[in-house]
Amino acid sequence: MVAQNVFFAILAILMIVSALKVVTTKNIVHAALWLVLVLAGVAGQFLLLGAEFVGVTQILVYIGAVIVLLLFGVMLTKASIGHEENINMPNRVLPAVIGTLMFAVMSYSIIDSYRGEELPKETVTSAAMVSDSIFSDFIIPFEAVSVLLLAALIGAVVIARKEPA
Amino acid sequence: MIELLALNPSWWQETFLIKVPIGLLAVLLPAGTIVYLYLFKAISFMQSRLGPMEAGPYGSLQLLAEVGKWLQKEDIFPSKADKFVFAAAPFVVLMSTFLLVVVLPAGPDALFVDLDAGIYLAMAVSSVSVIGILMAGWSSANKYSLLGGIRAAGQLIAYELPLILAVVGVVIQAGTMNMQGIVLAQAEGEIFGWGGIGNPFILTQFIGFFIFMIAVQAELTQAPFDMPVAESELVTGYLTEYSGIRFLLFFIGEFASAGVFSAIAAVLFFGGWYVPGIDAGSQVFNVIGPLVLATKTMLIAFLIFWFRFTFPRFREDQLQRLAWKFLIPLSLANIAITGVLKVAV
Amino acid sequence: MSVSTESEQLAYIASQAADARVNVEVETDEGMTLNLGPQHPATHGTLRIVAKLDGEKVVAAEPIMGYMHRGYEKLTEVRTYPQVTTLINRIDWLGSFANEVPFILAAEQLMEVEAPPRAQWIRTILFELSRIANVCLFLGDMAVQVGATTPVFYAFRDREFVLNQIERVTGGRFHPNFDRIGGLKDDLPKGWIEETRGALDRMKSFCDEMEELVLGNEIFQARTRNIGVIPGDIALSYGLSGANLRASGVDWDIRRDANVGLVYDQVDWKVWTHPDGDSFARFWVRLQETREACNIIDQLLGTIPSGPIMAKVPRIIKVPAGEAYVATENPLGEMGYYVVSKGDLTPFRVKIRSASFSNMSITPWVLKDVFVPDIISILASLYFILGDIDR
Repeated sequence: MVAQNVFFAILAILMIVSALKVVTTKNIVHAALWLVLVLAGVAGQFLLLGAEFVGVTQILVYIGAVIVLLLFGVMLTKASIGHEENINMPNRVLPAVIGTLMFAVMSYSIIDSYRGEELPKETVTSAAMVSDSIFSDFIIPFEAVSVLLLAALIGAVVIARKEPA
Repeated sequence: MIELLALNPSWWQETFLIKVPIGLLAVLLPAGTIVYLYLFKAISFMQSRLGPMEAGPYGSLQLLAEVGKWLQKEDIFPSKADKFVFAAAPFVVLMSTFLLVVVLPAGPDALFVDLDAGIYLAMAVSSVSVIGILMAGWSSANKYSLLGGIRAAGQLIAYELPLILAVVGVVIQAGTMNMQGIVLAQAEGEIFGWGGIGNPFILTQFIGFFIFMIAVQAELTQAPFDMPVAESELVTGYLTEYSGIRFLLFFIGEFASAGVFSAIAAVLFFGGWYVPGIDAGSQVFNVIGPLVLATKTMLIAFLIFWFRFTFPRFREDQLQRLAWKFLIPLSLANIAITGVLKVAV
Repeated sequence: MSVSTESEQLAYIASQAADARVNVEVETDEGMTLNLGPQHPATHGTLRIVAKLDGEKVVAAEPIMGYMHRGYEKLTEVRTYPQVTTLINRIDWLGSFANEVPFILAAEQLMEVEAPPRAQWIRTILFELSRIANVCLFLGDMAVQVGATTPVFYAFRDREFVLNQIERVTGGRFHPNFDRIGGLKDDLPKGWIEETRGALDRMKSFCDEMEELVLGNEIFQARTRNIGVIPGDIALSYGLSGANLRASGVDWDIRRDANVGLVYDQVDWKVWTHPDGDSFARFWVRLQETREACNIIDQLLGTIPSGPIMAKVPRIIKVPAGEAYVATENPLGEMGYYVVSKGDLTPFRVKIRSASFSNMSITPWVLKDVFVPDIISILASLYFILGDIDR
């Protein structure tokens, strides 16, 4: 367990530093690249917890797709190299409040539900276990999410489609 | 995974003294072989010329000469480039290649990590290289590079999907995402009740193989999908500003990925390290398995380079149309049919 | 213009510089401006295309020529007539012999001499051989520009046989400098006719190979069909000539319709046209013309008359005063020389009408609303030689 704690600390520090960099850097592409490190850290944490499947999904979805789309969009809109002056939001108070509130709520709920509990030492969750629980215990939420995604997909197609002239 | 991180001295020794050098070898050796055999020689014979003949017998040491040349060259940074991103980009691409090789099994016990979600990890890390390419394209401060980077991103996103969907057919048939499990499923499987050659999935998943190879061709940005590096349009796109060792790293990344993807195709569709006639549990495979896998890999890599030398290049919109209107529906149909047959038979 | 003060002089220079600049709209408007060239693999040298892009779509494009201008028109004024051929060899460097012919014909017209039949025959044969040497490379190069690397090597390999034949007669592979006022420098070497037939067979099989490898390829067709469509009337109004014009469905060939001095009327041949006017049609027409050139040479080889190869001309050539324009159907299109003589050893003025220069004028029109890869394939299919643009 020692190694796990050491790695957790390394990853956590990496993630915190990168996350701070995301919001303080003056270049939007750099911000996106720092975000890659944060998300890679999340994937690493999942792997540390033995949740292989979720960790790999994190890499595939967030790094491989979301960030790439983000970078793609940023570069298409002519992101310039070097510092950009007007990159900061004029209103900083509201996001700060929301962020603090989120942090407080999440830490409270996590501490409240797991205080004093210790996870079993070796819990490797295999893909089979994940899929079993998705298709038995969580079948209703799963179906609801897939319908939602389908609706989003169709909505995207409708919005992106050019009006026939 | 969890036992890997339990600070076990023998594990660290095993990793750094054995697995890392072997991993390096497993990436670089196929890459070198592919470059010499296919890029230097096969293409030359197809184009009615001889290729390199001077360095070593039949020019076999040409690659070393080329590497020496690249190492000597000045590592040029464009003055307006984003220096750090520009410098880091080739390493991101190369890292993705090295992570790919981790999940490849080369024998019953000859493997790096026996991951439960092996092929899934391979698909995931292969998508990381896009970030390196986007970084290279953007940070070069060159319009051609930027166009190349954006083209690469659009193309790699579009072809990630058919690539994964093509693999899903195999995963359904094997019943596992573990690469070793996929090999064993093919070694021990039967086709029409006859198990003489096992059941290499190429026989049942030939549509999947077809889609997989097209998607790999596009992922590797080889002709006919080489618009990101199109030398006659974009002057090699995101590579335009690179020289010296960083270009070499991109070059290694390109051909090592070709080798690794061929190896993945060999594992998924041609039974990996298994050859019919020997019991799949036999220890023999720890010795001949890597050779068998390498042979299959080279044969599949030949396909990639054969297409590369033959076809003209698509246009970007035609490529997207091919992916979204042809490959993805076809692979979805393939998955549906495989699923139905898996349940029914 | 008369310039009085320094400030007026400066203003004049500034206005001239503004005229010489790129289309101002292309330079200053919103959007990304992409400079293709002067150093770019697709420009065969030093052509520069400034394209204004919206994403990958071209909003406006402008060719900028003159990076390789060598002032041949002016240089001819200080060369004697026989010396001029050395210069003009270097205009279209892939089919050099074809550059010499119209100038020599113009000079002959002014001097009122005519080359003997045998010289006319051999001229026509060499003219068509240089057409093959030129267009052969186009067939391979077009494939490279759309991304297939292999065909160009086949083109270079088989072009060699044609170049060898040209070399056997003229002694020069690239720049023959063989045509003389009143005939040719030398007669054919022994056995040349048979060897040329062999080279022609090679060329015909090359054409078949290209038809299968390039023309029949689905990706090639997807990249060229309906790309860069030039309707016939537009092509005529922009002054296109040669295969580019015929690919737009205009049935015009100087060899048939306005032939001067060459013996195309002695041969049974066909002018190929294509109704589509797209990049594919231009490739197709050139492929057919290469075959037709083989056919023409094949027929001419069998009917070469005997006799002298030089007419009687004075040793020191002085061309009588007068003006003449002679154009021929060169590999790239219509090439003509307008020669003005004042009765001296040197021409008074020579205006060179080269095909590529006029063909380039259509690029702003045809490159509108295409994608960046199409710029390359359209430029490749319009087929220009830099030396033919900047003389």
